[in-house]
Amino acid sequence: MDVDMIFRIAAIGIIVAILNQLLVRSGREEQALLTTIAGLVVALMMIISQISDLFATVKSTFGL
Amino acid sequence: MNIFSVCGVAIVTAVLALLVRRHSPQSALLISIGSGVITFLAIVKNIVLTSDELRAILSSGNIRSDYIMILLKALGICFLTEFTCDTVTEAGLLSLSTNISFAGKVLVLVTALPLFKEVLSMVSAMVGAS
Repeated sequence: MDVDMIFRIAAIGIIVAILNQLLVRSGREEQALLTTIAGLVVALMMIISQISDLFATVKSTFGL
Repeated sequence: MNIFSVCGVAIVTAVLALLVRRHSPQSALLISIGSGVITFLAIVKNIVLTSDELRAILSSGNIRSDYIMILLKALGICFLTEFTCDTVTEAGLLSLSTNISFAGKVLVLVTALPLFKEVLSMVSAMVGAS
């Protein structure tokens, strides 16, 4: 059970939120948007392998 | 893998998602998907055990194992559809969720079609015999 991944994604979310706030407060909205997108891509990359794992497991378990 | 760890993971995930949701909702969605995947991957061993046992029981009872395969396939389609539906609904795309649900129903129907054919041929054989 790979619970660490949930903590990692939560940490990415918190860090991105803080960076976003900081950059917006200092008047760099476009960089804040880029930071948000980068964080989202990183978290998505982590999730995608898990989802592919889930699909492969479902496929082999239920004989789809 | 026991029920306590599953529930613990669910509660921790809920708290983390609640914490993150206010500032970045997309991360909260990813956390919820990850938690669902992890829980299923932890529990899937029991499903394999149960299906093997069920297959053994049915084969000893002289019932064809095609039926249990169809049942398992329908179960898998239902699970995947439900998982995706709930995730998409959580993201706020209700119409897409309805579409996916419909697709799942159609695919379950297609999977179960040989069973219907079998039942129909059985009925027609019985009617022809009487």
